Amino acid sequence: MTSEPFDRTVDRRAFLARAAALATASAVGATVGLPSVALASSSLSTSTGPGTRRRPLDQPDAYTEPRPAALAEPTELTIAEAGWLIRAGRLTPEQLVEAYLARIARYDGSYQAFNLVLADAAIAAARAAARRPRDGVLHGIPLAIKDNYYTEGVPTTANSFLFQDFVPPYDATAVARLKASGAIVLGKTQMGPLATTRATTPAGVITTVNAWAPTNGGIDPGGSSTGSATAVAGRMATSGIGTQTGGSITAPSNAQNLTGLKPTMGRVSAAGIIPLTYTRDHPGPLARDAKDAAIMLTAMAGEDAMDPRSQGLPQVPDLIGAASPVYHRRRVKLRWNTRIGVLPGFANGTSPTALARAAYLAQLAAIPGATLVDVPLPDEWSLLTGSNFNNARLPERTEPFMPYLRTDLRGFGVSVTSWLQGALLGGNEFITTQRAKLLLLDRVLNELFDGCDVVVQTDPVPFDILGLPEIAFPIGATAAGLPIGTILGGLPYAEDRLLSVVAAYQAVTDWHLRRPADPPTDAGARGAAPAQVLRLTAEEVAELSQ
Amino acid sequence: MAPTPPTDAELNVLIRARLAALGIDLDQLPPGTTPDPETGSPGRDSVLASLRSFVRGTVATLAAYQLPAPVGTDPEVANALSQQHVPVLYPSNSTEWRKA
Repeated sequence: MTSEPFDRTVDRRAFLARAAALATASAVGATVGLPSVALASSSLSTSTGPGTRRRPLDQPDAYTEPRPAALAEPTELTIAEAGWLIRAGRLTPEQLVEAYLARIARYDGSYQAFNLVLADAAIAAARAAARRPRDGVLHGIPLAIKDNYYTEGVPTTANSFLFQDFVPPYDATAVARLKASGAIVLGKTQMGPLATTRATTPAGVITTVNAWAPTNGGIDPGGSSTGSATAVAGRMATSGIGTQTGGSITAPSNAQNLTGLKPTMGRVSAAGIIPLTYTRDHPGPLARDAKDAAIMLTAMAGEDAMDPRSQGLPQVPDLIGAASPVYHRRRVKLRWNTRIGVLPGFANGTSPTALARAAYLAQLAAIPGATLVDVPLPDEWSLLTGSNFNNARLPERTEPFMPYLRTDLRGFGVSVTSWLQGALLGGNEFITTQRAKLLLLDRVLNELFDGCDVVVQTDPVPFDILGLPEIAFPIGATAAGLPIGTILGGLPYAEDRLLSVVAAYQAVTDWHLRRPADPPTDAGARGAAPAQVLRLTAEEVAELSQ
Repeated sequence: MAPTPPTDAELNVLIRARLAALGIDLDQLPPGTTPDPETGSPGRDSVLASLRSFVRGTVATLAAYQLPAPVGTDPEVANALSQQHVPVLYPSNSTEWRKA
């Protein structure tokens, strides 16, 4: 018997670290050359504040020599390319910021991607960056920030009447980490009101357009991280960040030819983000390719004392290395042998999407190390991932907004209905769905991932319910030139595996290098005539809400 | 015997009473079915129709769901064994937390 009771003698954090070390030691020999998910366990991240985890961002793999086509136009550069030029002294952060501000001035009247452009602050930050040692590949890189991330001293509206005067006293952890890594906040981006739909005004009037169809507001740009996607696709920021509760990173990424990464729940702290659904709000990047997504996630990820969801998780692996293609005799191969699960009917039919999916699978299968495997849908998949079980998220949006619901229903604008729906779901039903979530995860792990390492997705919602990681990336185009994208899902905290597969695919394809044409610059190009003003109704928003 | 499904009028009372119990007055919204032109907020009758549909659909479906008992369970003990599934808010995180 010890001299003191356990509650004061066992330090839980030290206990977890010891247990992890023991588990790792017991798995020696099985861990070499495998992605993090294959590790028996790993030591806990040390508590990290903004700015304390920068070394991975300065590794050689983080930098890529620019494509010749990108050298002439700084806004065309990826993060890895711009970082390469800045490191080489051939581009300054100020030049890069100025190039983006010029495009914003010229084109954002058409795109309407930004809520707020921080031109003076961005130039000041770029000049300051030039006066200090480089932080790594993100040093001086301008980013677009979704307007539900707190930004210290800068309005953060979530595109809602409720937050129109809100000025946060501090940065969201993810924003703070990006800034501490050297990145520059170029502006805050348009979004679906309170992160519900494609970007509109709080009253439902459509604002942001798809960068691939800037004169046609009827073409879905994807939501709710719409402005971040349009800013990156329209070359008004090198990269951007969004949040995903029901497809809000993957959908705009797919719609606008980007590589978007929704990490596993907790991989990125959600502290300082206006909540929509606590159990499903995933912060993550919308980027131009897998390497950039890896760079962004490396900066954003890790344990945060402000967010318990981020604690007690595996260390952030070498994501940038994972997103660096591997070659064998000058031919790309997968970094890790990977079984790619294909769900029933994924590429059936003759639609452009089906044909693109079939071609994508064929290209993947041709990469050494990749094996396509047919996998079944788990039992009760349609029920447990369908709209009724998906609606179990709604009380989570209602509860933190109770003060607003009591005093300012009209302040929710066109989005109010789902906040009221959440108030009607009883505790019984909510608990039932939380019980069903673990059942569903067990089935996904045992029935679906038993036969594969990653799995194609046709809908982001099931893995949003479960908090599993997803990566969205382009695989084709319609006859009209609109992007076609797809989604891969992975095991918990297997972002490295997902990035490795997409990096290899992007090394043998060039869909991710396509860029949209510039929009017409005359102010009347869209939206001026009354007939062109598009507006979502409350009923449509309730149906489309993320 | 299953209870008689509630009528629209009964659901309207339920919905208004539930919201009122929480301190939410639906009459903050415009009357009828016409949205507020300034904010886009729907009329209260439109919202009530949507909320009735939600109660009949989502609430009823979730309430009717019973977690399964293990395959092959004697029906006599199925209700008891189905209670053994526990709720987890963060299932992916729990895969790591359970390793500890």
